[in-house]
Amino acid sequence: MEPEGEPERERLLHTQRLKAAVHYTVGCLSQEVAEDKEIQFSKQSIAAISEITFRQCENFAKDLEMFARHGKRTIINTEDVKLLARRSNSLLRYITQKSEELALNNLEQKERKKKKSSAAKGRTTSDEQMEAGIAESEDSNMA
Amino acid sequence: LTSSVSCSLFIQETVNKILHLHFRDDKTKISSDALLLMAEMLKVFVREAAARGARQAQAEDLDRVDIEHVEKVLPQLLLDF
Repeated sequence: MEPEGEPERERLLHTQRLKAAVHYTVGCLSQEVAEDKEIQFSKQSIAAISEITFRQCENFAKDLEMFARHGKRTIINTEDVKLLARRSNSLLRYITQKSEELALNNLEQKERKKKKSSAAKGRTTSDEQMEAGIAESEDSNMA
Repeated sequence: LTSSVSCSLFIQETVNKILHLHFRDDKTKISSDALLLMAEMLKVFVREAAARGARQAQAEDLDRVDIEHVEKVLPQLLLDF
């Protein structure tokens, strides 16, 4: 195990900074809701929401890690996040919609990049083509 | 941690660091798209907490949300997320 002292202190400071960041964002979001609903939020209520959010992140992180591991991956992807949102229908719909927007955005960006580099040879759309490209690359290195 | 232009969103780097606090395996990573969705998810979580707290306070005819209102809506909030 890690020795007590410096590393422990540093870890605590790191956590404190992250908590402060969450608190700040929660303050902003609460302010928006406050204006919407014409109501005020006490400092303690905002602190409570921040603390709840920070702790909820622990559940989220552990679930996500498990989902990825279940899929025999070490990288958490958008499907894992969708699973996380499974408990509420409206939340799942919202997250799924956001995910689709993201995918569409990525696709458009890829298309744009493709057009830019359309002059360049050996564009790959799949792994097989990539492998095929390697064999040819010795010849086209100079291009 | 510096704030971004709009304060009403979770900075992805912050979300990434918080998640990494709790991963058991050092090799666990998160894709940038998934991270973006997580930031979005946390935003929804906080807005729900605040909105439900506000509704609770208003049901009690108050114009100020206090910690007890948040406490009252907490169980259902956690069941929904």
